[in-house]
Amino acid sequence: MSARTGAVRLLTVTLILGATGCSSAAQKPRALAAAEGFYTAIRAGRAEQACSLLSPRAREGQESAGETCASSIVDLRLPGGRSLETQVWGDEAQVRLSADTVFLHRYANGWLVRAAGCAAREARPYRCEIEG
Amino acid sequence: MRRFVKDNALSLFFLLAFLAALVGQSIAGTADYNATQLSDGGEPVSWPAYVTSSDFAVDVAENWQSEYLQFLLFIMVTVWLVQRGSPESKKPGEEGAQSDQEQKVGPHARPSSPAWAKTRGLRQSVFSNSLGLVMGLVFLLSWLAQSVAGTAAYNNRQLAQLQDPVSWGAYVASADFWSRTLQNWQSEFLAVLSMVVLSVYLRQRGSPESKPVGAPHATTGEEN
Repeated sequence: MSARTGAVRLLTVTLILGATGCSSAAQKPRALAAAEGFYTAIRAGRAEQACSLLSPRAREGQESAGETCASSIVDLRLPGGRSLETQVWGDEAQVRLSADTVFLHRYANGWLVRAAGCAAREARPYRCEIEG
Repeated sequence: MRRFVKDNALSLFFLLAFLAALVGQSIAGTADYNATQLSDGGEPVSWPAYVTSSDFAVDVAENWQSEYLQFLLFIMVTVWLVQRGSPESKKPGEEGAQSDQEQKVGPHARPSSPAWAKTRGLRQSVFSNSLGLVMGLVFLLSWLAQSVAGTAAYNNRQLAQLQDPVSWGAYVASADFWSRTLQNWQSEFLAVLSMVVLSVYLRQRGSPESKPVGAPHATTGEEN
């Protein structure tokens, strides 16, 4: 194994890591905008629009027992608040709000909310009002 | 061209095998990653997206670091430790860095010796340890790459499971990092142990990694 071959391999890893890091940085404002859009719709009472910003599984979760997503989502307590921190790792994101935490997943058409109204639990997954 | 291929056939074989295996890993890895994505409610990703992901990077880097560590240890430990009967070992009694005369450096260098072997001081010291230094450097950088890519991949899974991401420092102290690291190290150490011990008693005719078929079991190193 020559030093040159080793250097080429390392360069490859560096490029991969660089591409991953750059991609995450570029996605932060988009994930935050999706979370803020969801809470803006909730606050304004635009339930249909809020449901359209949920991931397919999260939306299905709100449609149980014959109730539509729009009718069930207005009954939930989603405090929201101002955004404190956004973390993006690959195609998953977490937006911390002053009174809430949101999890998002990146789909081909953009970021959608996977879980909202989430409260932290010690060494266990968050407990969420909306989850999918 | 034909001469070049013949003279470098061993390197070329392993270069092609490396590239084929890496491409194969990326294709199988994409399929595996997409199966997990679908079960988690996500969407499948393309091959280019997968090969630039932290999941692929950590899988590659964790294997690289262990391979370079294996060769680094093999190169360094065989300076000081011997195995009687193994063609991978120096003869008992030859432990250590050996004299300048035995190593053909400084005033004992031959006209055909590399330029830095003919010098004294720092350049001779650097060249005398260049193989270990480069292997060690690549090992450390690969391990660092594993830790960085591993943090990203681990945090991706943490978020997918509605859990908080962790810092690089917390990841390096985590069970995931050490599980990935040690599962590779144990297999490398076993492989070296097998090579050192089995080559005492077993032969592979024509291979420079083996003693000649008729050589006694007690023959050590290159005294074939």
